[in-house]
Amino acid sequence: MKILVVEDSSSMRAYLTTIIEGGTESYDLEIVEAASGFEALKTLPHHTFDAILTDINMPDINGLELVSFLKNHPVYKTIPIMVISTESSDEDRKRAAALGAEEYLVKPFQAGELIEKLRRLLKVA
Amino acid sequence: MTKEDDRAREEFTSEAEELLDTLSRDLVEFEAQGKNVRPEVVNKIFREVHSLKGLAGMLGFVEISELSHNLEDMLDRLRMGKIPITKDLIDLLYDSVDSLNRLVIAINDPSLAGLVDVTNLASRIHRTVTSQPQQKVEDPFSELTLDEQTKKSLTEYEEHRLLENVRAGKYILAIEQTFDFSDFDEKLRALTSVLNEAGEVISTLPALDSSGGSGIAFRLLYGSMLNEPAVAALAPDARVSSLRKDTSPAAVAAAGAAMTPPPPGGTTAADVAAEDDLSSLRSMSQTVRVDITKLDHVMNIVGELIIEKTQLEALTRQLTTQQQRMAAHELGKIARNLDRKLSELQKSVIETRMVPVGQIYSKLARTVRKVARELKKEIELTLRGEDTELDKMMVEELTDPLMHIIRNSIDHGIEPAAERVAAGKQPEGRVTLTAYQQGNSVVLDVKDDGRGIDPEKIRQVAIKRGVIGEKDAFDLQRAYEVIFAPGFSTADQVSEISGRGVGLDVVKKNIQELKGTIEVISKPREGTTFRISLPITLAIIQALIVRASGEQFAIPLTSVEESLRIYSRDIRTVERREVFTLRDFTLPLLRLSDAFGLSDDHDHGPDTKWFVVVTRAGEKTVGLLVDALVRQQEVVIKSIGERLKTIPGIAGATDIGESDIVLVIDVGTLIDHFGGRARETRALAVH
Repeated sequence: MKILVVEDSSSMRAYLTTIIEGGTESYDLEIVEAASGFEALKTLPHHTFDAILTDINMPDINGLELVSFLKNHPVYKTIPIMVISTESSDEDRKRAAALGAEEYLVKPFQAGELIEKLRRLLKVA
Repeated sequence: MTKEDDRAREEFTSEAEELLDTLSRDLVEFEAQGKNVRPEVVNKIFREVHSLKGLAGMLGFVEISELSHNLEDMLDRLRMGKIPITKDLIDLLYDSVDSLNRLVIAINDPSLAGLVDVTNLASRIHRTVTSQPQQKVEDPFSELTLDEQTKKSLTEYEEHRLLENVRAGKYILAIEQTFDFSDFDEKLRALTSVLNEAGEVISTLPALDSSGGSGIAFRLLYGSMLNEPAVAALAPDARVSSLRKDTSPAAVAAAGAAMTPPPPGGTTAADVAAEDDLSSLRSMSQTVRVDITKLDHVMNIVGELIIEKTQLEALTRQLTTQQQRMAAHELGKIARNLDRKLSELQKSVIETRMVPVGQIYSKLARTVRKVARELKKEIELTLRGEDTELDKMMVEELTDPLMHIIRNSIDHGIEPAAERVAAGKQPEGRVTLTAYQQGNSVVLDVKDDGRGIDPEKIRQVAIKRGVIGEKDAFDLQRAYEVIFAPGFSTADQVSEISGRGVGLDVVKKNIQELKGTIEVISKPREGTTFRISLPITLAIIQALIVRASGEQFAIPLTSVEESLRIYSRDIRTVERREVFTLRDFTLPLLRLSDAFGLSDDHDHGPDTKWFVVVTRAGEKTVGLLVDALVRQQEVVIKSIGERLKTIPGIAGATDIGESDIVLVIDVGTLIDHFGGRARETRALAVH
């Protein structure tokens, strides 16, 4: 399985990757990283993703715009998405859901929370 | 604390310092623009604090997380126009960033932790936030024809910016353009920056290429004082349309007049400017992050200075008359001092470019886990020498080749577990990466305890792929060469990790581009070591200047073993190749004038004197036959044009302070092209 992590902070990206790799040791999971919305768009055609995790506040295009693009795309619309952002943006959370994002994770989160939501997203036990 | 924690802390500290550094600069810009600050500046500051909060929260730095959380909340209101810009507010921002800086430093030096009064700052922020009455939120969409999808994709902040633009009576436009997929990011950033000069790009929504092509379309939401045709001129390839329901000038003017007055009690930009006693922010951090291109620039200047110095020395040598001698003496002294200072400067600049190779170790470890899983092999990876320092650029360029070699070792070197147990080895394959400094080089060894290279098997594969002929001479040394030959790599090496199904030939090419060498040492059944040697830095090197057929050449000293004087009669011919017996070793010779097609005007009598420069690249040596050794000096390598790049044996050009440009020899590719000989054949062979 392959997932895409879109996040502009490199240490947050490293942190997410470490948690995900640690929590999904039992499946064959590959993580592709993108440091911006543009990078995510550029990466998409080169892989088949089983899930996408994205931050909201990013330069270039924000996470919501990325979700909007994905959920309106004939091929990508079936990829489940988890939006990761902070508690201060409750309005953004509603919009992410309205655009069709399947999961929403509030920062800061516990490692277990992320893994649980990711498993739900990937539909694995 | 575990090593993992240490690493996380280190990464956090470095990113936090970087964020705070940018934040300080953005604050200065904010202050300079005062009340009329561009919204994207405030938003950028908000985003930076937001990132810092997220990071600190994840890693459990409570004080940093709380302070940045409070600050973020305040900045959020600020960017939404809910609180006014005042001098107090800017002071508060400066104080907060200063405190955040201290808290970040205190992570590594807890004795400083007491210096920050987080509670006091929190209450100041609280007062600023609560002193402002809540404003009622208007619907920015009522005057616009905006599609649902765009509406839904706006963040709360973008919606606020749209509202501000509507209120200010700006033209609200949709700009749609389809880009080629390969470079949409560059093109779109360029377009956005042009548009931001004359207005505000509020949102950027990607969409499918509506023409059914393979590009990607973007729909920008843009607020500007410019009207449709004016914006269309700025974005000639885009479709521009107005989103206002009524775009008559009267409506725009009316909307402009309806612009809300500044909140009561707010200060103006002039007020802020008048009180310029804002305390300066003294950073306590001992670290500065610098763009590598700036260091490149400094390095270039150092290079130019070295050339100037050489010219000074040359000039000094020309002063010979009695009268001039005193001056020459003084000048010589100055030149020597300058020389010393320049070497110090050069050394310092090189040091600032150095980063530990350990930076890429975690990435490598991840790759190994991935590859091991993919190939269903158990791998025990050991990484050593992570503190070994190397030029930053080289570390970046090194990642791909290293990953490829490691993958190659796991794939082809390490045997399946059963085979290993049968051979009396532990079931887990061992791969060790060791980095260490050796003289002016950094060496990286990738060692595995696998089956080793079987020359016969290599020969079979090479014949099958047409790399060598059925009847070609073949030995262990040749096997080591063949695995780096283009066309040898097997198709099953195409993988996600290396990305492009490249072979070791590409690895070798990459390493050579870094002026390094790669060699392989293998023992059947015991394992293989790939050894990469790299110069510590590329820009300035010590070189031996030699002359051949009237032309001067620079040979990097790192490649020179020794130089000696011989006579024509010492040169023998073995198998149509000129050689020279150096102690107990037969050294192949190469006339530099032949290598570069220069006319040989040298007298060929048996008593003619020659100089042999014994050069070495990896395990191979060749004696370069030249007319004279000129001197030893520092040279600054400059790259040469595309046309000369393809000529083997040339690393670049240099200006040595005289009128002519001198070519710098690349011993590695020279030997590859004209042949050399393994010096320590016996040592290399299987023990």
